[in-house]
Amino acid sequence: MRPRFGVTALAILMAVIFLFPTIVVVVTSFGSGRIVSFPPQGWSLRWYAEVFTDTMWVQAFGNSFAVGILAAALAMAVGSALAIGATRTKIFPASLVTGIAMSPVVVPGVVLSVGVYMVAVRTDLTGSVIGLALAHAAVGVPFVFINVLARLATLDKQIEEAARICGADEMTTLRTVTLPIVAPSVVIGGVLAFISSWDEFMVASFMNSPTFRTIPVVVWGEVISGADPSTSAASTLITVISILFLALAAGLPRLRNRKVAP
Amino acid sequence: MFAPLRPVAAHTDRRPNEDEVTTLDSATVPDQAVRSKAAPRPAWLSGIGAFQSAAVLYMAVAFLLPVLLMTIRAVSDPQNFVDAFSSGIFRRSIWTTVRMSLTVTVVCLVVSYPYAYVLARARRTIVIILATCLLVSFWTSTLVRTYSWQLLLNNTGLINTAMVALGIVDEPIRMMGTDFAVYLGMAHVLAPYTVLTIYAQMRAIPRELEEAAQIMGSRPATVFWRVIVPLSRPGALAGAVLVFVMALGFYITPQILGSAQNVYIGTAIVQQVQAFLSTDVGAAQAVVLLLIVLITLAVGGKYLGIGRILGLDKAGQR
Repeated sequence: MRPRFGVTALAILMAVIFLFPTIVVVVTSFGSGRIVSFPPQGWSLRWYAEVFTDTMWVQAFGNSFAVGILAAALAMAVGSALAIGATRTKIFPASLVTGIAMSPVVVPGVVLSVGVYMVAVRTDLTGSVIGLALAHAAVGVPFVFINVLARLATLDKQIEEAARICGADEMTTLRTVTLPIVAPSVVIGGVLAFISSWDEFMVASFMNSPTFRTIPVVVWGEVISGADPSTSAASTLITVISILFLALAAGLPRLRNRKVAP
Repeated sequence: MFAPLRPVAAHTDRRPNEDEVTTLDSATVPDQAVRSKAAPRPAWLSGIGAFQSAAVLYMAVAFLLPVLLMTIRAVSDPQNFVDAFSSGIFRRSIWTTVRMSLTVTVVCLVVSYPYAYVLARARRTIVIILATCLLVSFWTSTLVRTYSWQLLLNNTGLINTAMVALGIVDEPIRMMGTDFAVYLGMAHVLAPYTVLTIYAQMRAIPRELEEAAQIMGSRPATVFWRVIVPLSRPGALAGAVLVFVMALGFYITPQILGSAQNVYIGTAIVQQVQAFLSTDVGAAQAVVLLLIVLITLAVGGKYLGIGRILGLDKAGQR
């Protein structure tokens, strides 16, 4: 049954409301005035020039990138090890492994922040790329775990069994059969982990120091103290980078399949 | 690429039979494989087991340990909880948080049903428009969207300017710092989750059921209430529990858009740690928030299954 016109119109109105805040931020970033206004009085790229030259923004982008890449790499390794382990070994009960892998979804960011802060203060890890990346990696693990688990569920176990029958040992099977098959899911999970770190504010704000602030922490400070259009420009860049990464990752498996197909 | 084929030659004398294939169990084979080469190593130190142990260790140290240490620290001195609850801000914040999270959850459900329904049943063009808007919004960070709502809801923002210009109101209505602004901002962030869970459930409803109901003479509204809603209820409830739990932990949106009097638990905790520098009392308050979340999940999980709430069931089925 096709939805009736009224319902469809309502849904489209809601779609516009969903998209509207993103559009507002993008449009205000191209304004020429000193005050953020929508619609802007005139148009310019000066706020992008400011974001690309101001040390505060440049450093924050650099920090966010470093933390995000490191966190995503760690999350990819840990998340896929947990997912493959949960379905391929019986050392730990699968439910325990799943619980551990999914626990970051359950614990609110504020709660984790206080815990991480208490540990980081004692271990001298506040204000460092490593300290924040270690925490962000754990938060990113569920994304990798779910994606790899979903891929493993569709994977025909006989393919791995065939490799074993042909004489490959456990590690060879993992390296030459299992990992290549789950690789696209690992990458998608990794991109989601990157974005979760890239957007994460709570832990980052507890871990910040005068010399180490990530992009969301700087944006927060600007929003609280009265933003100027450079905040919109930085926000637009955050969003564009997130969506670009996702689009690349979403296109990846299809490209792979196309190459493999005869 | 077919390197593993090589050792087959060595095995031609012992043809694998049915039994061996079925016992090719990850728990037994690694042991044999390792034993044939070197001294036996325990399963958790060899092959995949070693990777898994390392990964479990990582999560234990980087994630569980901080939360555990915080809990121990808070519990070690009961005075922390006495101090936590002696704060009127905190006591009020619990009620504010639960009340507002419930409202946001209801708003999300109401908004998501028509959206998910159109997404599941409309023409391709409309589906693409709805999906694109939803996903672009979904992947715009909470902070960025909250900043945008601040621009829009201001006394001089677009909404007020437009309403005054159109003569709907004589002077700007104060929207910043009100519960309405928080509901709007939070529902905007959280509704995509309920839309996606309800959509997944609706896709599984055979169209024939709706046609059958119509042939029997039901009006579209009746079909919706008697066929679609009951059949999509499990997905909707699972999404609602997820959204409620996520709403409980919010900080950014209520802090920027909400009132300074009715603060959220998150704000109370941050204030305790960052402004009053009493980390232990903040830790006690964080434990209270964590307990509320865990109890909600335990109750929700009992009736709906925790895997369904966290979206793990789809990972298992697909």
